[in-house]
Amino acid sequence: MNYLRPERLDNLAREYALGTLAGRARRRFERTIRSSRAAAMAVDIWRQRLSVLDLAVAPVQPPESTWHSIERRLFAAPDRVTPAAAPFGGALQALRGWFSARGLAGALLGALLCVVLLRAQPGLIGLEPRVDVLPASYVGLLLDNAGKPTLVASSRRHGRQLTVKLLQPLVVPSGRVAQLWALPKDGAAPFPVGVIPAQGSSHLALPDESEKLFFSVSQLAVSFEKAPASAGDVPSDAYALIGHCVKVW
Amino acid sequence: MPMEESLPELLARVALRDRRAFERLYRATCAHLFSVSLRILRNESRADEVLQEAYVNIWHNAAGYNAAAGTPMTWMINIVRNRSIDVLRAHKSELAATSEIGDEAMNVAADAAVEPQRLLEDSLIKAKINECMQALSSAQRQALALAYYRGMVHTDIAIALNAPLGTAKGWVRRGLDQLRSCLEGVGVTGL
Repeated sequence: MNYLRPERLDNLAREYALGTLAGRARRRFERTIRSSRAAAMAVDIWRQRLSVLDLAVAPVQPPESTWHSIERRLFAAPDRVTPAAAPFGGALQALRGWFSARGLAGALLGALLCVVLLRAQPGLIGLEPRVDVLPASYVGLLLDNAGKPTLVASSRRHGRQLTVKLLQPLVVPSGRVAQLWALPKDGAAPFPVGVIPAQGSSHLALPDESEKLFFSVSQLAVSFEKAPASAGDVPSDAYALIGHCVKVW
Repeated sequence: MPMEESLPELLARVALRDRRAFERLYRATCAHLFSVSLRILRNESRADEVLQEAYVNIWHNAAGYNAAAGTPMTWMINIVRNRSIDVLRAHKSELAATSEIGDEAMNVAADAAVEPQRLLEDSLIKAKINECMQALSSAQRQALALAYYRGMVHTDIAIALNAPLGTAKGWVRRGLDQLRSCLEGVGVTGL
């Protein structure tokens, strides 16, 4: 189907801008917008037209906590790592088991890092409150192409938020975003999870419970994309980071 | 609507990673964007979550804003609308898998048409294209308003307005045609 015939393009652009284009057609057209200047312009023209409908919208002040949450997502200061006692043997066993397949050196390095991180600050990867038993969670540790641990991701089993923590700054090419993907173990297409910051910590809102999203996911990965990916998109570039995603319970 | 004149400058500074400018941009626009999301999602918690995601997105992508494609406010509204629509439809799919859909659908249908239509009419008056009110039939106004302010797709609109699907699609299509004509009549051609 040729989306770029002028009449068809205008029809799709206006239905997209209005919001009535739905499902797979919407996703397909979003990909067309990213690859076609004509499509992007057609949508921009309709958005401008429809923007008159915003003129009478009465503002509603969000709670002050919204701003603080945004600040935390974007600018949370890196947490200091100090040793402390906390039993997380089960989590480490699970991680060791998974990482053995990737090679002993990487596995040990990853596992050791997890020991330090999890013992020191369970809160830093979203596993609060501090209790003696690690809550049922999904945990991922992503390595860069040199095998260096770079990103810790975690989410409670029934949570709707994924906490990510950069262990070293990520060099994101200009004009790109670092897109986190989940890779199903059955080899199905990866699905986008969210955009991560280049450094520090961030909380990504999940569209569903972790249990539903990550139950069949075996790996997480990061690629650099021109724009945040939407559902149905696939990575356009090689992965800059990749690592296993494990269940911890 | 916040004053537009300072927003391009604020957005340009946000693109340079100016956190103070980012907070000023947030303070200037958050109430409007929250309202956009709240209207579509009609759930404060989910609208709040969308707002947070939108501003994270704005911070990361401010450098990609292209003034030729529209005002900063239009750009930001679009980010919020798209995400709100995604969340709304994901939530509906989730509900469809459970037995709660009936209540939700009835809540939507109950007051679906009245408030959005009034908002559309007030907006057209503010845009000084009141004559659009005559050009657009009441059904077209209702259909456009439900799509734009509530994120409804054609099937939702058909249910809310108790009309066959083809009729609802026609209202939307002809409503958009009329809106374009109205805007062109007053010299607004888009970009």
